[in-house]
Amino acid sequence: MEVTFWGVRGSIPSPGPATVRYGGNTSCVSVRLDGGEIIMIDCGTGARNFGISLLAGAFGKGNGVATVLLSHAHWDHIQGFPFFGPFYVPGNRFTVVGGSHGAELLERVLERQMAAQFFPVQSYRNMGANIEMRGASEDRELRVGNAKIVAHSNPHGPTEVLAFRIEADGKALVYASDVGYANGGPPDETVAAYRGADLLIHDCTFTPEDRAQRVSRGLSSLDDAVEAAVRAEVKRLALFHYDQDYSDHDVDQLVARGRRQLDAKGAQRIEIVGAAEGLTVKL
Amino acid sequence: MRVRFWGVRGSLPVPGARTERYGGNTSCVEVTSSAGTRIIIDGGTGIRRLGKEMMRAEFESGKGRAHILVSHTHWDHIQGLPFFAPFYREGNHLYVYARQRDDQNLRSVFASQADAPFFPVSFDRTRASVAFRELHDGAQFEVEDFMVATARLNHPHTATAYSVAADGARVAYIADTAPFTDILFGQEFLSGPSSRNAKLTRGDKAKLKSMASAVARLCEGADLVIYDTMYTADEYRQFPHFGHSRPSDAIAVCAQAGCKMLALFHHSPDRSDAEVDTMLADARLQSAAAAKGLEVVAAFEGMNLMLGKA
Repeated sequence: MEVTFWGVRGSIPSPGPATVRYGGNTSCVSVRLDGGEIIMIDCGTGARNFGISLLAGAFGKGNGVATVLLSHAHWDHIQGFPFFGPFYVPGNRFTVVGGSHGAELLERVLERQMAAQFFPVQSYRNMGANIEMRGASEDRELRVGNAKIVAHSNPHGPTEVLAFRIEADGKALVYASDVGYANGGPPDETVAAYRGADLLIHDCTFTPEDRAQRVSRGLSSLDDAVEAAVRAEVKRLALFHYDQDYSDHDVDQLVARGRRQLDAKGAQRIEIVGAAEGLTVKL
Repeated sequence: MRVRFWGVRGSLPVPGARTERYGGNTSCVEVTSSAGTRIIIDGGTGIRRLGKEMMRAEFESGKGRAHILVSHTHWDHIQGLPFFAPFYREGNHLYVYARQRDDQNLRSVFASQADAPFFPVSFDRTRASVAFRELHDGAQFEVEDFMVATARLNHPHTATAYSVAADGARVAYIADTAPFTDILFGQEFLSGPSSRNAKLTRGDKAKLKSMASAVARLCEGADLVIYDTMYTADEYRQFPHFGHSRPSDAIAVCAQAGCKMLALFHHSPDRSDAEVDTMLADARLQSAAAAKGLEVVAAFEGMNLMLGKA
């Protein structure tokens, strides 16, 4: 399984010289299974560049098939949807999976982003590709190729967000963005959902000091990400979903500080990286 | 009068090394008079940093006042507003202006951007006083010491052009719009270039002509015209149905209206810095031939222009 980051930012895209290295696009991660199947996790503005890369292959000819997993419907996780090129090529087929309230609500949510007052295409049905909506539910697992995908519900301020665990080819990837654990960090069932992942992509919006000022946002600090990685005994932790005001230098500091925290907890074996646009991790 | 550009991009924000010089934020322009009146045109992602700057002055203490003119409610012109800090401070007064529509109430279009499940802070929780003013096509009105005029543009779902004048200087903002020649945009979805084969009726042509003359009047003698020049000539041939113009369209309007300066604006998300440079060089060649005395620049984030009296 090959994992590539296309957007690593939270809240709103943050273009500019200060974010060129880690990138300013909002959340989007792609997964290519050994069998060639494509999964896109979240559809922030990073999806535009992922779409451009796919158009060079089967998706440019209308022969592409992919699954899109949506953690939740905050703008920074869906705002790339109208700009994902492969959606505009007739013949391509997509299954969009998200929310725990079923396909109908998911469709209504995504349609509102496409409505005439906001976007000239007016409906996802005008985009050209075949796009099917599907509700995710926690206890029903989803299959893509030989991959087993399980959704796990996490708290995100007053609302909920889905984390996804993808197991294929003997490897496990966990994507857990936009999570605000109650005091005391991730509960045991959440740790179980992350357990032993080869790569844990975890929300790290804030430094612990900044999070303390913004607890109600329902987002993680570096401490939360490190805590989750250590308790779940993952092999590698990728920090993700940085605050829009964090510069490349700030993120460097987060990663270095995370390394020190892991070492202090006796978790020298856990690798830590700062997710960056264009970074590919092979599991 | 001071004009500052906070976002110059169309469609969606494009962070990254390719857009570092011109900037990747979506549309937002600030115009301030020497008396200190502040007009903001459009609320793309560029408005976030403007809001942060405003919070370093009177908006932090809830004593700020600003006017936001919205060309239309496509995402790239409003998506920064939920991140505009002055909205969240009690005591600030914000006035939002946009075109009146029969089918939609302006406030509700704005408020719906902050609805669940899309955004965590509902518009009802905005602490500042936010007043909405719906405008008729062609409306003219005063905003403190500014004189504002409007004209209807040729764009899907319709957009509004503005001219704002103070301190003996005038700026026109013409975005987003298609040329006034090939397609008359209405409510319907146009699926491709072939839509332009649908022949324009005599009535359509008359509407386009009157739109073009209203825009020309708006630009008449302007010190600066900021114009949607998203497309090259080739791109326009492929995508006439998306509602954007070429530099040549903007130059023709400015030549006719005797404008002093044209800022190419609403750059395509596909355009790298080097490609904007090329577009600008081409536009300057065209302008030298077609519009004597017209200075052409390409808008970039951080560009700061002083017009008329300081």
